[in-house]
Amino acid sequence: MTKQDDLETRLKIAKSKLEIKHSKADTKKGAFLGNAFKLGTELVAAVAVGSIIGFILDNWFGTKPLFIILLFLFGSAAGIYNVIKTAKKMQENKE
Amino acid sequence: MATNPMHQFNVYKIGPEIKINGIDLSFTNSSLFMLISAISISIFLLLGTKDKKIIPGKFQLLSEMLYNFISKMISDTAGKKAKPYFPFIFSLFIFVLFCNMVGMLPYSFTVTSHIIVTLAFAMFIFIGVTILGFVIHGFKYLKIFVPSGVPVILLPIIMVIEIISYLSRPVSLSVRLFANMMAGHTMLKVFGGFVISLGLVAGWLPLTFSVALTGLEILVAFLQAYVFAILTCIYLNDALNLHH
Repeated sequence: MTKQDDLETRLKIAKSKLEIKHSKADTKKGAFLGNAFKLGTELVAAVAVGSIIGFILDNWFGTKPLFIILLFLFGSAAGIYNVIKTAKKMQENKE
Repeated sequence: MATNPMHQFNVYKIGPEIKINGIDLSFTNSSLFMLISAISISIFLLLGTKDKKIIPGKFQLLSEMLYNFISKMISDTAGKKAKPYFPFIFSLFIFVLFCNMVGMLPYSFTVTSHIIVTLAFAMFIFIGVTILGFVIHGFKYLKIFVPSGVPVILLPIIMVIEIISYLSRPVSLSVRLFANMMAGHTMLKVFGGFVISLGLVAGWLPLTFSVALTGLEILVAFLQAYVFAILTCIYLNDALNLHH
């Protein structure tokens, strides 16, 4: 009985050590690189989408530079907003 | 071997040209490598689930690890409600992963280095998640465009920003995967070209870079599949659990 208990506690310790090792390795290399890519594209995509919507609206209404300028600005705001949102999410995950 | 680093991304037809209603449906090298990925996934998972032992063999261990990995990812990011969507996310992850990894083999074609492929994935996810949101929450789903605690004067501006931010999801999702794969493979090819042109004298330096980059590319291939799947989970979470 005591032998089995001993083995179980030793197993637990070994397992917890393994888990710590795994989680550290994962967060250090992979997640950081992934997050960096995520932030970059998030910023650019919103600007692109805003500008494209502006371009389409301009072609519809024949108001050439108005909507593309306006929606480019809104797109940039949305891009920055996206980056802030993802950064906040990353911080929550860290804690 | 072509020296043009972009030559590897050419899509060409294999076999006869098939045209239905003016839409080109010919079998291309892209379709071939999608098929290769799908077949290798099937073989891998069939081997993994063939004989279920208590002490798993190599393939069974790998497929069980993969299952646990995705299952944990879904429950961490999207909660219990997302469990029914496990098959979708699992197939998505494993297909993107295998396409990326098959693309790492020499002389192969990387399916995910074309934006039309990744955009098709991303639009499918985007439209699916939007429909899902409307089915579950009805018109209340539009609330995600109206964050709480915003003054009324600012509301129209915030709403436009939120809508653009929502529409930019498929773009950022697809561009990230496509750009990473294309940039990585172009870089590998360029460094490979340096090795040939510098020859025995100084070709060793780009060769070491090439080896290091191959390692990095394998990491990126896995990572991009992971990011693709995890963002799908996050979008799914937004649609399932409405909180703003």
